Amino acid sequence: MSTTKYANAVAAIKAMENQLLTRGDIDQLINASGSSEIQSLIAAKRGTGSGPGTLNEVWETISSYAPEDKELRILLYRSDFHNLKAALKALIAGRDPKEYYIRPTGLDLDTLSPLLAAKDYESLPEHIRSTAEEAYELLTRTLDGQLADSLIDTSAMKAMQADAERYGTGFMQDYARLVTAAADIKTAYRCALMKKPRNFAELAICGSTGLDKDDLIEAALSGTESLFTLLESSPYDEGGKLLAKSPALFEKWCDDVIMELAEGARMKAFGADPLAAYYIAAEAELKNLRIIRVCKESGADKETITERMRKLYV
Amino acid sequence: MTNGVVLAIIGAALAALLAGIGSAKGVGLVGEAAAGVVSVDPSKFSKVLLLELLPGTQGLYGLIAAMFILIRTGVLGGNAADLTTTQGLAYLAASLPIAIVGLISGIVQGRTAAAGVGITAKKPDHNGKAIIMAAMVETYAILALLISVLMILNIAV
Repeated sequence: MSTTKYANAVAAIKAMENQLLTRGDIDQLINASGSSEIQSLIAAKRGTGSGPGTLNEVWETISSYAPEDKELRILLYRSDFHNLKAALKALIAGRDPKEYYIRPTGLDLDTLSPLLAAKDYESLPEHIRSTAEEAYELLTRTLDGQLADSLIDTSAMKAMQADAERYGTGFMQDYARLVTAAADIKTAYRCALMKKPRNFAELAICGSTGLDKDDLIEAALSGTESLFTLLESSPYDEGGKLLAKSPALFEKWCDDVIMELAEGARMKAFGADPLAAYYIAAEAELKNLRIIRVCKESGADKETITERMRKLYV
Repeated sequence: MTNGVVLAIIGAALAALLAGIGSAKGVGLVGEAAAGVVSVDPSKFSKVLLLELLPGTQGLYGLIAAMFILIRTGVLGGNAADLTTTQGLAYLAASLPIAIVGLISGIVQGRTAAAGVGITAKKPDHNGKAIIMAAMVETYAILALLISVLMILNIAV
């Protein structure tokens, strides 16, 4: 598809970017005395405009402007696979999965559970089809929820990378690679800490460009120090150093690296990349607002809140 | 009507047609981008309208070149000159600069102006810069028009 087909969508998104919070706005929110002041500051910033309320609203706005969303749907794969996980577990436990679903998602949540119950995998969207079948079989055979979770999480990363290669631009491919690498490093760290067996690590680690799956598994099985040593010689050495200090710092680094990637994409005048970048920016903004609210409620000081703030887009 | 006149009319038609297509595509693209901004912030309508107008000039240049050909050959007055095939080909050749450059520059200027709409959306105070960047493309359409007109006026009838 010609990138100029996105001219309308990109221009609308550029206008919406003015509604995103700036560094100055975030500083004001951090200095706010309570949640009512936070609300009034956000309302003053948004004015009559429609800034991101929830991520679902952001997605609906973006998809209403985008002439096609095949490439953009890759952004939803993590929530799609989470919902698959929720539906499968609820099915096994005989519970209603609706309260466990997250939005936005590319799946039809009304039909997901009935289709899984009927084992009608062919009617599921292509990217979750084989995973749904495998995970159901694994879950019913072993009743090991953690193992099924690992299988689904790894499949999510694989699907993201494969479809970014298939439909996406360089930006979406880099995004998928970064998200996968971050997830793999976190999984390897947890495997090392909890001394997980090889078969679990092999199932839970996906592997990506710049971070070989076998090397990561070996490092995870040898302990955290081996993992940090491996990361030193990888493109994620900075993240590795932060992970050695604190997993929270590593989480922040992952979000910041993705935001840096989005900053490059938003400079483009055409194509789906600025739309994806706006979605990532809105996601980071909502995360920042959540951190501010939680920190305020728990009485954290301003320096702590500032340290935890994710990189901003505007 | 001689073959020469037919060739000259084809030249006039190409000038109006190709440059017009370029403008239509360019204006359409900027219009799409402008509509995107106005759907979010209607107050920016006048600023984005200026950008939308820019790729429209190529169509006008094509029209000017076509009119010159039709007037010079007498077709417009209903009294067409007895042009030789060589003279007709000369008019056809004279129409090509504005026809081809008009087509390409109209589309390219549309892309530049549509990208400029993004500047206007985010930083309305810098609208002038977006206009200047899009207007740079105009230079080549003007040069092509100039050459076409000079050629048309200097073909001996």
